[in-house]
Amino acid sequence: MTSIGTGYDLTNSVFSPDGRNFQVEYAVKAVENGGTSIGIRCKDGVVLAVEKVITSKLLKPGANKRIATIDRHMGVVSSGLVPDGRHFVSRARDEAASWRQVYKTPITTKDLASRMGGYLQAYTLYSSVRPFGITAIVAGWDSEVELPVDGEVGSGPSIGSGGKVEGKKFGGPALYMIEPSGLYWGYYGAATGKGRQSAKAELEKLDLASGNLSLQDGVKEAAKIIYIAHADNKDKEFELEMTWISNLDGPTKGRHEEVPKDILEEAERLAKKELEGDEDEEETKEEDKPADGDKMEE
Amino acid sequence: MEFGTTGMLNEDGIHVDMERLKKGEVNLGTSIMAINFKDGVILGADSRTTTGAYIANRVTDKLTQVHDTIWCCRSGSAADTQAVADIVQYQLGMYGIMNGRQPTTQTAAAMFQELCYENKDRLSAGLIIAGWDERHGGQVYSIPLGGSLHKQPYAIGGSGSTYIYGYCDANWKEGMDEEEAVNFVKGALQEAIKWDGSSGGVIRMVVLTKKGANRHLYLPDTNYAVRHE
Amino acid sequence: MNHLPQAWGRPRDDYYGAYDASYFQSNGPNQHTQQPIVTGTSVVALKFKDGVVIAADNLASYGSLARFTDVKRLRTFADTSVVGFGGDVSDMQYLDRLLNSLDTEEAYTSSGHTLNARNLHIYLSKVLYKRRSDFNPLWNQVLVAGLDEEKKPFLASADLLGTTFSAPSLATGFGAHLAQPLLRKVAPDEEAAATLSKEQALEAVKESMKVLFYRDARSMDKYSIAVVTKEGIDLKENEKLENQSWAFADQIRGYGTQVN
Repeated sequence: MTSIGTGYDLTNSVFSPDGRNFQVEYAVKAVENGGTSIGIRCKDGVVLAVEKVITSKLLKPGANKRIATIDRHMGVVSSGLVPDGRHFVSRARDEAASWRQVYKTPITTKDLASRMGGYLQAYTLYSSVRPFGITAIVAGWDSEVELPVDGEVGSGPSIGSGGKVEGKKFGGPALYMIEPSGLYWGYYGAATGKGRQSAKAELEKLDLASGNLSLQDGVKEAAKIIYIAHADNKDKEFELEMTWISNLDGPTKGRHEEVPKDILEEAERLAKKELEGDEDEEETKEEDKPADGDKMEE
Repeated sequence: MEFGTTGMLNEDGIHVDMERLKKGEVNLGTSIMAINFKDGVILGADSRTTTGAYIANRVTDKLTQVHDTIWCCRSGSAADTQAVADIVQYQLGMYGIMNGRQPTTQTAAAMFQELCYENKDRLSAGLIIAGWDERHGGQVYSIPLGGSLHKQPYAIGGSGSTYIYGYCDANWKEGMDEEEAVNFVKGALQEAIKWDGSSGGVIRMVVLTKKGANRHLYLPDTNYAVRHE
Repeated sequence: MNHLPQAWGRPRDDYYGAYDASYFQSNGPNQHTQQPIVTGTSVVALKFKDGVVIAADNLASYGSLARFTDVKRLRTFADTSVVGFGGDVSDMQYLDRLLNSLDTEEAYTSSGHTLNARNLHIYLSKVLYKRRSDFNPLWNQVLVAGLDEEKKPFLASADLLGTTFSAPSLATGFGAHLAQPLLRKVAPDEEAAATLSKEQALEAVKESMKVLFYRDARSMDKYSIAVVTKEGIDLKENEKLENQSWAFADQIRGYGTQVN
């Protein structure tokens, strides 16, 4: 980094002469050291997966979850400083709960991402705080059917309401990624953390924009991608943690839940098998060269 | 014993005890309603406001806009219902700006319900919320005195409504076209005005569809027969 | 206690004399204490061998006016419990939202649902007691039906004062007077309830609903009924009372000696 030692990196909320906020960029470095997290937006649901690096053999396997539930229809995973991730989750839960209290309806994934984006951005503005050392991936399924106001009774006309605009679709899968700067975008597939480069390369192969990938296949792809991304971090052991949210007809009925053990193990088995298959080609390793979509600017 | 003490409902369960109103308060003695129809919703109301037996206003507008295609009918204390409607109008305006999309009828219903429920000891407000939005089409919600929230095919309220439960139940049809629906509302309100001393004056209506809000007015001197343009 | 929600929580007239309502209007900082406006009537429930049956009609009354006829007063929680609400509907809706947020908080922990019917009943009773202690009661009487921590049938009630009670059969409001004796005949004690089949329990509860419709002037013939067992909750919300007995009216002439 060119300007190290010039003093502009010592405090938050101070620009360097060429218009950079170094504290934010250092926060991004913290993210880049964290275990890989990914999210895949499928046609009938969303998957979240994380490479949980085992920091001690004394930790109980399967405990200390890294993916959290925000509201019943929404989950979040993050890479970077774990305590910062925990605080992010706590704030996101408060936002979702306060939305529900005011509007008596679940918050949409987009609105939650917007509020959390605003929250993280505020941590780049003051000298008394530091930016979040995480990039978070928020996944949700916004109800595709009409929801009642929380608590309402009665059911309206038996033939349904009159005057709806036909052919319009509402709700569906949603996936957002929020960076330490507060920047957030909606994604078809999102990856962050140490193995993000190879994870992104794999995600791009899936042609997610066409909206053909099913949730069941998405789970298998997610497991595979985490295993591939782990190649950048091979000396450390890891656990695969996965959650999903399906549509109302799917396995989770619109709720954010852990992927059941049998499905997760099957996905892991397939991932390992595939990885063994092309072990030989997996030698050319890219050094931490920033790719195009990885810059901090808008 | 059932309805003995002050501040309670009368034996018929509808007339608000005048003790409930603050002294000298203006009461919307009222007949109000809102219905679902093929293309959206219609709100309707009489135009009489009374203090005791004196008609304080004979051309009142009890149909209040709180957003582009979300309106409400007010009954009970004029002051209370105006204050509540003003707050919700402000909140819905803010919602549109902050979230970059229009609020739905449900958003409005949730806001009205919160105010009426949390302040039930202080308010005498009987509201009907009706609105149209792209996702849900037309919707009708009723919020009676205690602040509960009821989704209904059609809702009637105010003191005049007691006299038209039978009329409405017998004549109600789902999925009416606009002309049928207007006639249903008009017929019901005519009966309410006829039998309820606290209701009277003109009949006002608002038709809410994807085309927006459209006001109707019917006058007693023409026996409410033709729409006043 | 009088079965009408309007009279709940007040001293008995026959014992203490007519209640002086002006007492509530006395000067002082706290002017809470309300009255129920839109009300639901009885809830009835009965334990059986493998679970619990619970029922309530779909009416919300406004004084004596049968104002809302599509109000569902049974609410499921976590696939193991059903709560039946009597009393004020706006407070029922408040509790419904409170249970929604409880359900969301439960989902934060990855272990899945841990709250059983007993936990839920204790939670609700504490909420109700807290509110009555603030002189701002939630005007409800609730029955919680479901399974306890050992997956055994559980049934208990809690009211606006925070009073709790448990028995093999329970009923609120008018049901406490009319349905409870019928249900006790079927299941006088826990042992008897533990021998009942689902069909027997359903029949007894449906019979109770019928009697309540005959004799409760704030009831209607459309009702909701739920069966909670280990297999889950079977909730039906649009049942109609069947096999009513009215034709004997034909035999009734005049009010005494009249024969034609």
